[in-house]
Formats: sequence, C-alpha cells, structure tokens
Amino acid sequence: MKIKAGKDELVWKGLRNIILLCGLILILFPLWLVLINSFKTLEEAGKNFFALPGSLNFTNYKELFTNSNYWIFLRNSFKITIIAILIILTLVPAISYSIARNFQHRYYKSIYYYLLMGLFIPSQVVLLPVTKMMSGLKMLNHTGLIMLYAAFSLTQGVFLFVNYMRGLPYEIEESAQIDGCSVFQTYTKIVVPLVKPMMSTLLIMDALWIWNDFMLPLLILNRTQEIWTLPLFQYNFKTEYSFNYPMAFTAYLLAMLPMLIIYCCGQKYIIKGLTAGSVKG
Amino acid sequence: MKGSKQKKLSGRWTYFAFTIIPVVLYTFFYVVSVINGVRYSFTNWDGMSKDYDFVGFKNYLLLFKNPYFWNSLKTTLLYSIMLVVGVIITSLILAVSLNSLKWFKTFIKSIYFVPAMIGGITISLIWDQIYYRVLPVIGQKLGIELFSQSLLMTGKTALSAVVFVQIWQAVAMPTVIFIAGLQQIPDEQYESARMDGATAFQRFRYITMPYLLPTVTVNLVLTIKQGFTSFDFPYALTGGGPARATEVIGITIYNDAFKNMRFSVANAEACILFVIVALFSLTQLKLTSKGGVNE
Repeated sequence: MKIKAGKDELVWKGLRNIILLCGLILILFPLWLVLINSFKTLEEAGKNFFALPGSLNFTNYKELFTNSNYWIFLRNSFKITIIAILIILTLVPAISYSIARNFQHRYYKSIYYYLLMGLFIPSQVVLLPVTKMMSGLKMLNHTGLIMLYAAFSLTQGVFLFVNYMRGLPYEIEESAQIDGCSVFQTYTKIVVPLVKPMMSTLLIMDALWIWNDFMLPLLILNRTQEIWTLPLFQYNFKTEYSFNYPMAFTAYLLAMLPMLIIYCCGQKYIIKGLTAGSVKG
Repeated sequence: MKGSKQKKLSGRWTYFAFTIIPVVLYTFFYVVSVINGVRYSFTNWDGMSKDYDFVGFKNYLLLFKNPYFWNSLKTTLLYSIMLVVGVIITSLILAVSLNSLKWFKTFIKSIYFVPAMIGGITISLIWDQIYYRVLPVIGQKLGIELFSQSLLMTGKTALSAVVFVQIWQAVAMPTVIFIAGLQQIPDEQYESARMDGATAFQRFRYITMPYLLPTVTVNLVLTIKQGFTSFDFPYALTGGGPARATEVIGITIYNDAFKNMRFSVANAEACILFVIVALFSLTQLKLTSKGGVNE
C-alpha cells in the first residue's frame, strides 16, 4: 500500500512539473517574441522571426519616441488613472463609512442597495446612453472620462468597503468620540489608517481597470488624437503600422512596460490585494 | 449637554455629507443612463437625428425575427461556455499544481500572474501576430495542416482562437483565488487521508473539492460575466469576422449603435443581454451556493 502511494506521488509530481513548464512557456514565449522583435528591423524580422536580434538596435524605439505621440498618450493614461484613483479613494471609503456605521438607518441602507444594483447590470446597457449623454454635455474629454470612472467604480468599491468596515471593532471609534473627536476627525484619524489594506486593494483593482480599459476611451476619446490613452493608441496603431510589425511590437512593449515595472516592484502586494478584493467581492 | 447634542447633530451631517457626491455621481451618470438606455430601446432613434418616436416593442419584435441577432446570441453563449470551462479547469489544475510546489513557488506564481497585468487590447494584438506569423511556421515544421493560415481567418477555428487568447489572460485571477482557497485546507486532513490509504485522486475529490466549492462560485461569477460582456478580445482580434463567426453580442451592440445607425436597436439588444445576465447570475448563485464547507 505504501509503495503504491509513493508511485502515485511520483507520477503526479512529474505530470505537475510538465504542466507548469508548458504553462510558463505559453506565457513567456509571446512576450519574449515581442521583446526580441522590437529590436529588429523589418528586414531582419522577416528573415528569421525567432532568432535573437543581431545587435541591440534601438531605431524602433527612437522612431516611436520622436515621431509618434507616445509621450502624450503615456501622460494621458497616467493623468486619467491617477486623478480617477484619487477621487475614488476619497469618495468610496467615506460613503462606505457612513453606510457601515448607520446601517440601521433607512436612508443609508437604501443607498447601499441602490449602489449595489450595478452588480447585475452589464456594462453595455450603460455605455451607449452614457456616450450620448457625454456628447450632449460636451464632455467627450478627460474630465468626462474621469467622472465616469469615478461613478462606475462605486458599486464594487462600496460593496467591498462596507463589508470590511462592518467587521471593524466599533470600540476604538467610540472612545475617540468620547475624547472629543468629531465624526470627521474619527474618520480621518482612526478609520482611514485601519482600512489601509482595503484601500490598497481598491487602488490596485481600479488602477488596472482604468489603465487597461479600452471600451470607455474608445467611446469617449476616439475623436481627437491628442487625448488618446495608451490602449487607444495601440489599437489605432495596428492599422497604421500593420506592415511594419517590429515597430508594432515596440509599441506594444512600450504600452505594457509601465504596468510591468510597477508589477515587478510590488507583485506580492498586487496579487494579495487583488485576491482579497475578489474573494470578498 | 447642549454641546454634545450639537455635536451629535453635526456628526449626522458629516455622515450625510459623505454620501452626497457619490450618490449624485452614480445617479447622474449610471442610473440615468440605464433608464435612458431602456427608454431608447422603445424608440426609433438612429443616434444622430434630433427627433425620434416611441415605437413600443417594435425593436424587440424585429430582433427576435432577426437571424443575425440569434446568431450573435448563440455565439456569445458558445463563447461564454468555452471561456468558463477553459478558465475554471485550467485555473484549477494550475492552482493545485502551483500550491504543491516546494521550490520557487512565489516566483513561478508571480509569472503566472503577469497576464493579468496586461490589457486585453495589447494581448489581442500580440496574439494576432502570433496566429499570423508564428503558428504557420510551427505547423509547417510539425506538418499540422490546421495552422497553415491564421486560425483567426477560418470560420471554424476563429471563435476558439479568440477564446483561447482571452483564457490566456483570464486564468490568472481565478488561479490565485483558488490558491487562496487551497491554503485554508488544514494539512492534517491530508495526513489522515494518506494514513487511511487514499489515492491522490480520492484526496482531491473528498478533501480539496469541498473546501474549494465557495471559491468555485466566486470564479464562476467572475468568468461568466466576462464571457457575456466580452468585447476587447474579439473586437481587436477579428472585429467579429470572418463572416460573423466571432460576432459576440458586445460587438453587435457596438456596431449597431455606432456604425449601422441603429442606436435604438442596439439599446434593445443591450437590454436583452441585461435580462440574460441577471437571470444567469441569480440561478447560478442559487445553484452553487449549496454545499461546500463554509456554507
């Protein structure tokens, strides 16, 4: 019996290692191809797509940095993501705190369920009419897009935060209030530091969503090139450079790079934060 | 006494003030849009003209008679089923494998998570090139006829090829969620099962599975919604082609609204999708919330 179990284990371990190895190749190989071909000229890539580049040739990069608006798109993406995140991180914990501490009150309970309705509504239902609305309001610009991100992030954010805050002990806040802290002071001095883990979860979730989002920028920003974000740039780049694919690869790489760098610096927190969000959400 | 009463009142105002901006934003941009969307679906608005009339259920009736709409619903369903089955099975296998690793566990896990960092558009454009340039070469070497031209260009294979790319990205999240679920299982349970002579499969079936059920629910909800509302991947990879083979409902809605000047019809399509998603989420929550250790 014991021998059989041992053999079982060995087969399983071998199989597991093969599976994981194949998975790693499947993930890294496309990224590797993007990397090596971004250093090739069109001619070189045409000769052998899989070979290493003859030399570290930065012409594609130079061309992109000088002849396209890459820096502008990068700045747009950063600007939209950062401002939207700041607004979200200010609004969501505050309203969630109000709801969590007044849940017995009819008003707060109903706005909680009111905000939660969004969980059941697919994005398409909202996107068409909201595009018409923004066009009517002359808000087909960054400000409009940021407002939409703030509005659309509320459902999930409030859901996560209210559940988290209701689990926090109330005694600390109570004693702070007896000591003379107002609700606002209690919130900023006691509650905000307590919910920092949840804040980082929300930050990561929404930053990834906004940074990589394609549909909303396509609807709101697609008219003028100067206001594009990186995903829009890549999509439109596809038609422009379809023949010069090493150039296209360079563009894809440059678009992924900021997120990958951030991921390398904090992958442990990012994975942890995202998992915490989804398991609760 | 008077001071504390005043303070209580101002406290109540603070609580209330915290809710004003979010509720206004949500109402104005989200709820009003949903209501508008439902309203537009009962009109004949093309999205551009100044006037439009209410036409009742005409858009819905026309849609139910439209074979293209049924086709896109069918494609969406097929897409979602392939996505859900692919993602759940792959992520389950990966999670169990990764969790049992002894060396480099964190490192390998972090590589498996990289796709979640990259946007759907970037991934699609990269895979578009791979289908076009890499697979034919591999196919030639191995003598696989199927790869001789891009899988995205043949009606039969295009849908699976698009789903595959989305799976490539969508697997990352469920995998780490499953791993988090696996780590809750106490080791002693495996130990005693081993003492009793349970095989690896039996241990998986009777110990791992029951603990994982609640996480399966979470992952199902996540993935089903992704499948039904998928847009980035098919839009960037095929644009719905060839011959509507990959035209999921998200693309039909987009095209009707902004290319075919059938804005009101597109809204009706979105509303039908709404009903389907809501029904699915509810039944599926009911079905899967039974059983499992945490229930």
